[in-house]
Amino acid sequence: MKKSLTRRDFLKVGGLGLLGAGGATAAARTGSTVGRPSHAPMHEMGHDGGPLPGTGDVDTDKNGFDPAQVLTDFDYGAVSTLADGRTLREYEITVINKNIEVVPGIEFAAWTYNGRIPGPTLRCTEGDLLRITLINGSNHPHSMHFHGFHPGVMDGVPGTGPGGSVEPGASFTYEFDAGPFGLHLYHCHVFPLARHIAKGLYGAFIVDPKGGRPAVDREMVMVMSGFDVDFDDVNDFYAVNGIPFYYQNHPISIRVNEKIRVYLVNILEFDLLNSFHLHANFFQYYPTGTSLTPSEFTDTVIQGQAQRGVLEFSYRYPGMYMFHAHVTEFAELGWNGMFAVTE
Amino acid sequence: MEPQATRKVRLPLRTLALLLVPVLLLAVVIGVFLGSGGVPDLQSAAPVESLNIERYVLRRGSIDLQVRNSGPQPLTIAQVVVNDAVMPFEVEPTASLGRLARARIHIEYPWSLGEAYGITVFSGNAIPFGVDIPVAFETPQPSGRTFLGFTLIGLYVGVIPVFLGILWFPALRQLGRKTMSFLLAATAGLLIFLGLDTLVEALEAARGVATAFQGVGLIGIGAVSTFLLLEAIAGRESTGPSTEASQRLAVAMTIAIGIGLHNLGEGLAIGAAYNVGEISLGAFLVVGFIIQNITEGLGIIAPVLHYRPRFGRLAAMGAIAGAPAITGAWIGGFAPSPLFAVLFLAIGTGAIFQVVHQIGRLIRTDMGPRGLPMTVWAGVLTGMLLLWLTGLWIK
Repeated sequence: MKKSLTRRDFLKVGGLGLLGAGGATAAARTGSTVGRPSHAPMHEMGHDGGPLPGTGDVDTDKNGFDPAQVLTDFDYGAVSTLADGRTLREYEITVINKNIEVVPGIEFAAWTYNGRIPGPTLRCTEGDLLRITLINGSNHPHSMHFHGFHPGVMDGVPGTGPGGSVEPGASFTYEFDAGPFGLHLYHCHVFPLARHIAKGLYGAFIVDPKGGRPAVDREMVMVMSGFDVDFDDVNDFYAVNGIPFYYQNHPISIRVNEKIRVYLVNILEFDLLNSFHLHANFFQYYPTGTSLTPSEFTDTVIQGQAQRGVLEFSYRYPGMYMFHAHVTEFAELGWNGMFAVTE
Repeated sequence: MEPQATRKVRLPLRTLALLLVPVLLLAVVIGVFLGSGGVPDLQSAAPVESLNIERYVLRRGSIDLQVRNSGPQPLTIAQVVVNDAVMPFEVEPTASLGRLARARIHIEYPWSLGEAYGITVFSGNAIPFGVDIPVAFETPQPSGRTFLGFTLIGLYVGVIPVFLGILWFPALRQLGRKTMSFLLAATAGLLIFLGLDTLVEALEAARGVATAFQGVGLIGIGAVSTFLLLEAIAGRESTGPSTEASQRLAVAMTIAIGIGLHNLGEGLAIGAAYNVGEISLGAFLVVGFIIQNITEGLGIIAPVLHYRPRFGRLAAMGAIAGAPAITGAWIGGFAPSPLFAVLFLAIGTGAIFQVVHQIGRLIRTDMGPRGLPMTVWAGVLTGMLLLWLTGLWIK
């Protein structure tokens, strides 16, 4: 922004050369601490001792969900066996309007599936029959639109039937066979779409291949998104699993040589791209998880909205390792985390 | 109809009672309004918040923001984002600000010299308030060195040009009466130009003032009260037993005061502008400025050319007109406040237009019954054009 210079503004030129850098005085550092975490871990300090971008902790109890749990929380549904021997999985998902403290001091008037952002990670096996009941406990029409195979009436898009727009107080059961195997997602598809997604209505949807993927030691889900807290269609904060800076403040503990699989989903609204970069390491990447053969061995992957993929890696050396969006602006606005690798 | 003046004054007690009736009724109405919960359907859905970021101070490795809650309700400072990075910060005395309360936000940030920064302060209701730092450099702190710097700025801008203008006195004394009137008219033109400039500055500064302080209203108060006050003082002087010479000296003095107030505002703006880094270096600009402000000195001597004021008197007037630029630069440089800036600029506006008014009267006296309208027209236009043209140098 360039202010118009007025006649007077030029007057200062007379003495500007005479004004050197004034004596720097140390600012008094009293007063209330707001933006700083109560315990500042080592990785939060700059090499010069100054603070790095970040916030303190939000009230996860009040929010009702903790990204530490979201990370490994896979919802397999209520499982039963059909007469023909197939597996039936039933889920119940409620849309709830809820204020979520996304960064300390700022509550975001979110729309949520089951009171959390992202919504539950639904997990099933290819060929399972799925019955997902959406109960709209909010005051807006909403839906669930799944990526994957299903009939048009189960698409969760307005105009495709009763499941396209579930009125407040109403419910609808989406029913379809799970497939194809891979890493997918679901989100609300009611107009205005961008707002319904940005408000928090999204989640990961994992369809395992029959017989499962090769065994690993630990599996994690990471859903990348952003928060436009002032509703100007520009994200103010970025996060993985709902809370900006969460895994920066609370590093994820893993062990050397432990085989890690990350289900990575991008549902970021308003920005064109998101990315994931792993420090001091490389990972096998399976785009959309639809193949059991990796397509790339890399340390950075870019995803547009609704793109997703499976990452597999393990660490050779102990230490603290960052993982973050290599859209570095996002990293410093919240999409930054740490792996704490120990022997 | 019976004229008002002849009517009998009512009993004081009864008058008092009558005066109180509407006040009591007002109290009842307010009570009913608040008691019934206001107008229920007109409650705002979103909080109306407003945060004025009045000043920023850069020190090595840190940025301080001086903020004021200018909204109707209390406000909480929740997050600070510097150039797209969420930064830890501290607030003194507290992050929760009552109405019109001030606070200082301290951010440790490794800013770089000469670069631009955008800072967003989020309130607890996620309302963003922004401030731009167009050019980052260490904010001058009061020290011998910076003090001298601002003093020199004031000298260049105010004192030196005014005195240079006064030095024309011996030469101009040789001029005839008609030329003299032309000069007076030109002075009026100069002042009208400066007055407009000051008014615009005041209006611009008013935008930086917390809404509750009604910057534009303050301009009105400052300008009108100054105008009328100086008018009253001038009127008192002219009714007293005085010679033509002393009257003209009084006019010259008020011109000096008016220009002084203008230069105070000028100094304020310079100091404040230096603080925010709106810098445009170039020796020719300084030169242009000196040329332009020489005309201010000319304005002071114009009314007294036919008389012989003592040298000391002229020097005093020069100091009154020029020195406030130094004071202004100090205040603007070390303790800029949008509120004071608006007030000073408003006072300057009122003072300048009062002086124009006074010069107008002087010209009318000089002209006598015949008058020389074309001379006045040409003079005023010349004065205004002089500033406009010299302004081309420095705009």
